[in-house]
Amino acid sequence: MNTSAPFHLNRRSFLRSGVMGIGSLALASLLKRDLAAASAPHSALTHPPRAKHVIFLHMVGGPSQMDLFDPKPALAKYEGLPLPESITQGRRFAFIGPDAKVISSPYGFGAHGGSGMIFSELLPHMAGVADDWCMIRSLKTDVINHGGAQLFMHTGSGLFGRPSFGSWLSYGLGTENENLPAFIVMTNGLPTAGAPIWSAGFLPSQHQGLRFRGGNEPVFYLNDPADITRERRGRIVEGVNALNREVHERYQDPEVLARIAQYEMAFKMQASVPELLSLKNEPQHILDLYGIEDTSKDTFARNCLLARRMVEQGVRFVQLYIQGWDHHDRIYEDLPKACRQVDQATAGLIRDLKQRGMLDDTLVIWGGEFGRTPMAQVLSASGDATPPGRDHHIDSFTALVAGGGFKGGLTYGSTDDYGFGVIENPVHVHDLHATLLHQLGLNHEHLTYRYQGRDFRLTDVHGKVITPLLG
Amino acid sequence: MSTMHLRSPLLRLLPVVFLVQMGEAASPPDFTRDIRPLLSDRCFKCHGPGEQKGDLRLDQRDAALVALNPTDLVKSEFLHRITTQDQDDLMPPQGKAKPLTHDETEKLRAWLEAGAPYAQHWAYVKPVRSLVPQDVNAVDHFIRERLEKEGLPSSPPAEPAVLLRRLSLDLIGLPPTETELDAFLADPSPAAYQREVERLLASPHFGEKWARHWLDLARYADSNGYQHDKLRTMWPYRDWVIRALNADMPFDQFSIEQLAGDLLPNPTTEQLVATAFHRNTPSNLAGGSIREEVEVQMKLDRVSTTGLTWLGATLECAACHDHKFDPITQHDFYELYASFNQTPPEVTENGLGGGKELIGPEIEVPGSPAEAKLVADLRAKKKELEQKLESAKPLALAEREAWEKSFITDGGYKRIPWDKLPTFARKVRGLDLIGQPASKRTERSEPKVLYVLFYDHPATAPFAKPLAEIERQLEAIRPPRVMVMRDLSVKQDTFIFQRGNYLAPGKVVGFGVIDALHPLPADAPRNRLGLAQWLVSRDNPLTARVTVNRWWAEIFGTGIVRTVEDFGLQSEAPSHPELLDWMAVDLMENGWSMKHVIKLIVMSETYRQSSRATAAALARDPANRLLSHAPRFRLPAELIRDNALTIAGQLSRKMFGRPIYPPQPDKLWDEIISVEQPEYPVSRGEDRYRRGIYVVLRRGNANPTLLNFDATERGLCVTKRSHTNTPLQALTLMNDPVFVEAARHFADEIESWPGDASSKAVRAFRRAVSRVPNATELHLLLDLHATGSSWFDVAQALLNFDEAVTKS
Repeated sequence: MNTSAPFHLNRRSFLRSGVMGIGSLALASLLKRDLAAASAPHSALTHPPRAKHVIFLHMVGGPSQMDLFDPKPALAKYEGLPLPESITQGRRFAFIGPDAKVISSPYGFGAHGGSGMIFSELLPHMAGVADDWCMIRSLKTDVINHGGAQLFMHTGSGLFGRPSFGSWLSYGLGTENENLPAFIVMTNGLPTAGAPIWSAGFLPSQHQGLRFRGGNEPVFYLNDPADITRERRGRIVEGVNALNREVHERYQDPEVLARIAQYEMAFKMQASVPELLSLKNEPQHILDLYGIEDTSKDTFARNCLLARRMVEQGVRFVQLYIQGWDHHDRIYEDLPKACRQVDQATAGLIRDLKQRGMLDDTLVIWGGEFGRTPMAQVLSASGDATPPGRDHHIDSFTALVAGGGFKGGLTYGSTDDYGFGVIENPVHVHDLHATLLHQLGLNHEHLTYRYQGRDFRLTDVHGKVITPLLG
Repeated sequence: MSTMHLRSPLLRLLPVVFLVQMGEAASPPDFTRDIRPLLSDRCFKCHGPGEQKGDLRLDQRDAALVALNPTDLVKSEFLHRITTQDQDDLMPPQGKAKPLTHDETEKLRAWLEAGAPYAQHWAYVKPVRSLVPQDVNAVDHFIRERLEKEGLPSSPPAEPAVLLRRLSLDLIGLPPTETELDAFLADPSPAAYQREVERLLASPHFGEKWARHWLDLARYADSNGYQHDKLRTMWPYRDWVIRALNADMPFDQFSIEQLAGDLLPNPTTEQLVATAFHRNTPSNLAGGSIREEVEVQMKLDRVSTTGLTWLGATLECAACHDHKFDPITQHDFYELYASFNQTPPEVTENGLGGGKELIGPEIEVPGSPAEAKLVADLRAKKKELEQKLESAKPLALAEREAWEKSFITDGGYKRIPWDKLPTFARKVRGLDLIGQPASKRTERSEPKVLYVLFYDHPATAPFAKPLAEIERQLEAIRPPRVMVMRDLSVKQDTFIFQRGNYLAPGKVVGFGVIDALHPLPADAPRNRLGLAQWLVSRDNPLTARVTVNRWWAEIFGTGIVRTVEDFGLQSEAPSHPELLDWMAVDLMENGWSMKHVIKLIVMSETYRQSSRATAAALARDPANRLLSHAPRFRLPAELIRDNALTIAGQLSRKMFGRPIYPPQPDKLWDEIISVEQPEYPVSRGEDRYRRGIYVVLRRGNANPTLLNFDATERGLCVTKRSHTNTPLQALTLMNDPVFVEAARHFADEIESWPGDASSKAVRAFRRAVSRVPNATELHLLLDLHATGSSWFDVAQALLNFDEAVTKS
C-alpha cells in the first residue's frame, strides 16, 4: 500500500550487489540502523518514550521467589505443617492440595549494592548489579497452568488468539531497521505454550515474532538450495523483480512495488541475518562478560549477547525463553543448576548494555509465568517419594526489571510471612504491561486494535501504570 | 519486518473518510451514515445501552431529547458540552474517547438543526429489494449508479485469458488448464463465458475452494491446541463442508445442520457429522487447568463464534456486561449460552501428564466399501492368530522366570532392548518397568510384561508378531470417530456469570434469543435447534446480509460492509447498501442458494472488468471501494500452494480423507511441549501433492508456509485474514522444499516440451498466468534461461512472479 519503500535500489545497483554478492561494506551499511525508517509510519506514541527496546528473559516454568528474591525465614517455624486454612481458603492450586506441608528455603540471602537489595546466594552475578534492578515482589497473575500463564504473561490473556507484547510494539511503534524483524524470539528449550505466545494474534501477521533457531538455518527458508549460488539467486530475484516491474506497468497496482521491495529485502536478509548471528567479531572480554565459552553453542549466554546485538541494530523486542524452572520435585538439586545457566549471562547483559549507554532506553525483564508455593510438592515414581519441589503459585511472585527508566535499586511490594499472598502494593501482570508500555511512550488504553467489532488492548480492560516503579 | 507494505490503521481509515466526504456534499447529515457512528464511537460507551452516566442515554431519541433539545439549540446541553472551551465540561472527556474534530462537531450541529432525527440502525431493519431495471444485473446497476454519482468511469472488460483465470481461481481455486484456456479463447463470447461459469460452479473443486473460507469461521483444526496439542479426528467434518458446498445445500439448512443437526428428527450420520462445527473449539487440557473452566471457555467460544458467523455481532462483550454499543444485554448473552449449556461433559481429569482428556459424544464415520472389506479380512485373520497364540501361551509362561532372568546384567536390571518390542509399542509408557525387579512392579505393569514375553518368546512369537502387525494395520484404517454435539435429556440450569466470572454465578436464565432483534419463530423448540431456526429465519435482518457480504469479500477482497465481522453500531456503513440488501433478499428468495448468488456476482460486468487501475481511480478511490476496476490481490495461503502445484504439473486432484503431511522443517512438531508427541509422517506419492485444504493443521505449530501467507492457527473464529506482503513470503516461495521441488518439476516439464526456447518460454509463462508474455517479458525469461543455462531459473521466477501469486 505504502510505496515509499526505504530502499528502492535501482536496477543497476541491485544487479551489482546480486552479481558480486553483498560485500562487507554493503553489509556494514545494511546492518546500520536505518535512521530514515526510525520515524515509523504509524507510530502510536502518546507521550515521549523513556525506552525504545525490550529484552524479556523468560524463565520457563516459574522460578521460586522464596528461594531467590523474597526470603521467608518464618517458613522454618512451620516446616512440615500445612498453612493456616485462613490463608489457603478459596485459593487455587495446580497439583498439590491446600493441606500440603510447608518447606523452608535452605539458601542464604544477602543485601547487595548501595540499595541493599536482597538476593539469594544462588544468583551472585545478578546480585552484583543490584542497583540496576527494580525488584517487584508482589506480582499476581490469573492462570495457573504453564501454557495459559505464559500466554497471559505475553498476551494479557490465557486464551489463544491474542497478539503478543512484541507484536503490539511492532504494530504500535514500527521497526527501526527495515532489514530485520521488529520482534525476534530465541529459545533454549521451548515454552510450553509454543509458537502462539509470539503470535501476532489478530494483528496483521507481519507483526508476529520471528523465531531465530539454532543450527544453520536460523529462519525457515533463509538458505538457498545447495545448487543455487548467491550469484544465481541474485539473478533469479532480479528476474522476478524485472517481471514484476512489467506487471506494475500493466496494472498500476502499488502492491506490486511493495512485493519488489520485499524480494530485495529477502535477498539482503539472506546475508544480514547470518552476519547478525555471527559472534566472530565480538572481543574476548565481551564473551567473558557473558560467560560464553563456545560461540558455536546455542546457549542462553550466547542468546543474551545476540539480544544486545539485535537491540543495537534497532530490533524492538527480543524475547528469550529458557526451560528448566518448573521444579515440582528435586528443587534443591535443579534450582542451582537453572540459576547457573542464566546468572552470569543476565548480569553480563545488564553490564554490557550499561557500558554502551543502551540500558537507558532498553527495558530488560527477568521472570517467569508465575511463582511457586511455600508448600512442598512430593512426586512419587514407582512408589518412591522423590526429593521435594514446589508447585505453581499465582498469588504472589517476583520479577525484575532493569533499564528504561525503571527505578534501579527499588524493591517494591511485599508478601505475607509465608510468601503466599501479597500484603502491600500488588502488581498484576496487566499493571506490569501498562507500566512497560508507558515507558515505551504508549498509553495502554490507547494502544488498541479493532477486531471483530471490539477494540482490543494488551491489558484487556484492566491495568494501571505503577508510577512508584519509575524513576 | 517492514511496515511499508502494511495497511496501517491509518491507511485503513482512508477509504472511509473518502467515502464519507464524498457523500457529504450532496445531502444533510444522515443519521445512519454520519451521526450514529459518531455517537456510538464517542458517547455510547458511557451514555449508551450498557451504562448511563449522569442518567443520560443517547442511543434512544426519547431519552436523549432532554440533552439534545433540538427545538432551541441555545439551551442544548449536548451542543454546549461538545463545543465548550471548558476542559472540565468538554465531552467526550479526555482519555475516554477520541476528541471530536471540528468537522464532526459541525456535522452534529447540522443534525441538531435538522431536528435530531433518529433512525434505527440499518442492519437491524429487514432488508428489502430496491427496483432494478429488467435485464440489468443488479450488481452492475448499483455499482454503476454510485460510480456515475462520483464521476468515475468503470473499466473495459478484462482480456479473456485473464478473465478465465480470475473466474477459475475464484470458483474452484485452481487456474485453468491449457485445454480449458484454448477452448475459451477460441470463443470468448458471453454465452461461452456463462458456460464456463456453470462448468466451474458444478466442479467438485468448488467445495474445496469455498470450504477454506468456512473452515476459518468454524476454527477447524486437526488438534486440540495448547500444551500437548494432541491430534483429533475432525476431518470428516471438513469433508462434510466440501460436499455440502458442492451440493449447494441451502444456506439455512447448512446452518441448521451444523448448529443443531443432532436435534433434527432421526438425524442422519451426515447431519451428526455437521454438528462437529461446534466441537472444533480448542481445548486447554494441560496439567493444572481446571475442568469446569475449560468447559466454560469452550461454551463461551461457541456463543462468540455463532454471533460472529451468523449475526456479524461481537457477543463476547456481553459475557461480562451489557454490550456498550449494540443492543445486546448480558441477559441475552446467557440466554444464548443456555442453548449451548445442555451438552454432556467434554473434559475428563485423567489425561496426559496430569492433564485432561477430551471426552463427550462421538460417532463412527463409515469408511469406503474397500476399507470395510479390508477391515473384515484383517479381523478374521486376527481372530485366527489369537486362537493360536492362546494355545501357545502355556509354553512361554512355563519359561517366564528364565526369560526374565535374561534381562539381569551385572547386578542390575536393564531395560528391555527396543528391538524386542513391536514398533508401535515402543511409545507405551511404563514398558521399562519390565526391566525392573518384580518388587518394583505394580499390578498395572503385569499385562505389559506378559505382552512382551509373548512377543519375544520363540513359542509365541510366530503368532504374537503378526498379530501386532495386524493390530497396527487395523488401527491405521480404523473408521474415524468424530466429536459431535448432543444434548443431555435433563435440562441444565444456566446462570449469568457476574462480570463473566464462572465462579460468580448470578441469576438463573432460561433459553432465549436477543430481545432487541426479531422474535423466535412461533413453532421453534426452545433449544439449539430453535436458536438455529431463529438465526436463519426470514425475519432475521442480519444473517443473509452478513453471509452475502462475506462471499462478496472473498471475491472482491473487501466487503460491501468492510467490517465483515461487525454489523453493529460500530460497524462501517456499507459502500452500496441497496446492493447488499438486494443480494440478501435474493439469497433468501432463491432457496438460500450460495451458487445462485455467486453466479449473480461473477456474471456481472463489474466482475468482468479489467483490473488495471487508472490514475484517476488511484487518486479518487485508492482502496477501490467503488469498483471502478476489478480488484487485484494475493491468493490466500492454501491457494498459493494449489496454484504452484498446478503450474508445476504436480497437483493431485484426489479429494477427501485423512489430512496430508507435506514436507515441513524437521522436528517442527517436537517443538510443542507434549507427553506423547505424534509423528509427522511426511506424505509420499500422490498425497504429497494434494490441495492445501487437506494439509494437517496442528494448532501449536501449524505449517509455517501457510502461516507465512496469513493462514491462522485457527485458535478462534476467523472472519477475515490479513493480507500481508513480507520478505518471509519471498523466502518461502524461493526456498521452501515444496516450492523448490515444484520448480524442478516445472523445469523438467518445460525441458520436455517440443519447440525452441522461445516457444517453451511462452508456454511456461502462459501456464503460470494464463496470458501470453509481451516482448519484454519474453526477453526476460529467455535471458534467465540463457544465463542460468537451465529452465529451473525460469520456473522459479515464474512461481515467484507477482502475477502468478495474485488474482488479477
